[in-house]
Amino acid sequence: MVTSRIISGLCLIILLLLWQFAVMSGFLKPFQFPPPSRIGEAIVELAVSGFPNGERIWTHVGITLWRIIQGYVLAIGLAVPIGLLIGTIAVLDKLTLPIITFLRSVATLSLLPLVIIWFGTGELTKVLLIAYGCFWAMLSNVIAGVKYVDPVMIRAARTLDTRPLAMFVRVVIPAALPRMFAGARMALGVGFMVIVGAEMIGTIQGLGALIMEARTFYRSDITIVGMLFIGLLGFTITSGLSWLETILLPWSKGLSEVRR
Amino acid sequence: MADPARSDVAPSKIEICGVSKRYATDDPDTPLVLDNINLAIGDNEFVTLVGRSGCGKTTLLNIIGGLVESTHGDVKVNGRTVSGPGQGKGMVFQQHALFPWLTALQNVGFGCRNKGVHKAERDQIAHQLIELVGLHGFEDKYPAELSGGMQQRVAIARALATDPEILLMDEPFGALDELTRLEMQDELLRVWSAHKKTVVFVTHSISEALVLSDRVILLAARPGRIRREFPIPFPRPRKRTDPQMIALYDDIWKSLA
Repeated sequence: MVTSRIISGLCLIILLLLWQFAVMSGFLKPFQFPPPSRIGEAIVELAVSGFPNGERIWTHVGITLWRIIQGYVLAIGLAVPIGLLIGTIAVLDKLTLPIITFLRSVATLSLLPLVIIWFGTGELTKVLLIAYGCFWAMLSNVIAGVKYVDPVMIRAARTLDTRPLAMFVRVVIPAALPRMFAGARMALGVGFMVIVGAEMIGTIQGLGALIMEARTFYRSDITIVGMLFIGLLGFTITSGLSWLETILLPWSKGLSEVRR
Repeated sequence: MADPARSDVAPSKIEICGVSKRYATDDPDTPLVLDNINLAIGDNEFVTLVGRSGCGKTTLLNIIGGLVESTHGDVKVNGRTVSGPGQGKGMVFQQHALFPWLTALQNVGFGCRNKGVHKAERDQIAHQLIELVGLHGFEDKYPAELSGGMQQRVAIARALATDPEILLMDEPFGALDELTRLEMQDELLRVWSAHKKTVVFVTHSISEALVLSDRVILLAARPGRIRREFPIPFPRPRKRTDPQMIALYDDIWKSLA
């Protein structure tokens, strides 16, 4: 475990060194492939003087995080009760399946022009776009979690005189939780995919905006810094979510490891 | 409806009257899964249903348990027609069917909780049963942390917790390795002697049926029907190598062929 980490760390360092060397020797153009040293300088620049218009990296990270949290919480908060309802009532599931399949296939960012017309270019538009993307990922997993509860569990519970309400609360929901957590992780991933597009308009704050602004100024180094921070942010939150899962669902430890 | 003329005769615990079964998805031309099964099982009797795969033994067990409806005929427990699962009929399945999100103790207490038994009493019952099945010290383990044999012990304890009159077991040891299986057979007999129940036990192992039961019901397939019954008069514990047991084994084996 430790040795494999050392090896993967070494690989990364070698790759960065090769990259640096390739630019310095003129094999790669620094404008297209800013070398690691240039990216390091860009991070310092963003931390000290900021870009664009003196917006520092912490502002970008903070604003992006806040938008994702709002959209994400809104999406999860809606998807869980709606999903539980649809998953439980077979007729509802049949009726909504085509709509859900259609709407979740619509690329979230293709809605951007419409959402701007409806809600303008303010914060609401960005949060709603993130929420839209997260919602469908979560919803389908909540529905599947409820629908595909192991029938053996249901039968066993029936032989133990389990009444309908207890069946739902004490069998169906706990059985669906691992799937719901998987959905929550997927939804978060979607949220981070949508963020760059959602921040394309009407703002210079946020990591997505940073990347778009960097494009205007041909600052490929800053684009890469923006990507880096989005990746780090996503990685941190996803790890936090996995940690939360092992705390809340200690019994599914083995399961989630297999699934991943 | 009880027949007054027969009121002095000890009634059977379970009465299976003309039960036939065809699944809705079956081709109407295929033979019945079960064809006119008639069987009476006495109080505290240990009966095994033995037969090849596809002879309908599990279906019959599920009909007795109220999990599956018969196409014709009905099953009576204490003279009352079975209308659904539970209600004094505990079940143990081939896969342990434990709730993975509950600990061993909570799994065993599940049925009691449905009956509104308070936590203190529920835990006491569950502790006793876990002790009985030899899992002291594993109360707080989740099913995934237990071995196959231990999971099945918890499942048996869970089925016993509400003190049902009838215990229905569907190849409960079928997924276990041979050694664990033999161990579990002895264990079950020990538990059964402590908590006398009427047991219907499905297995495809003749030797398992011989060690455990008072009576072996041999089922034939296509259509599923009772081929023969073998009372096993030997006292327990039985030695698997007893010549009389071996002779009976041969007898049952020949009837299967």
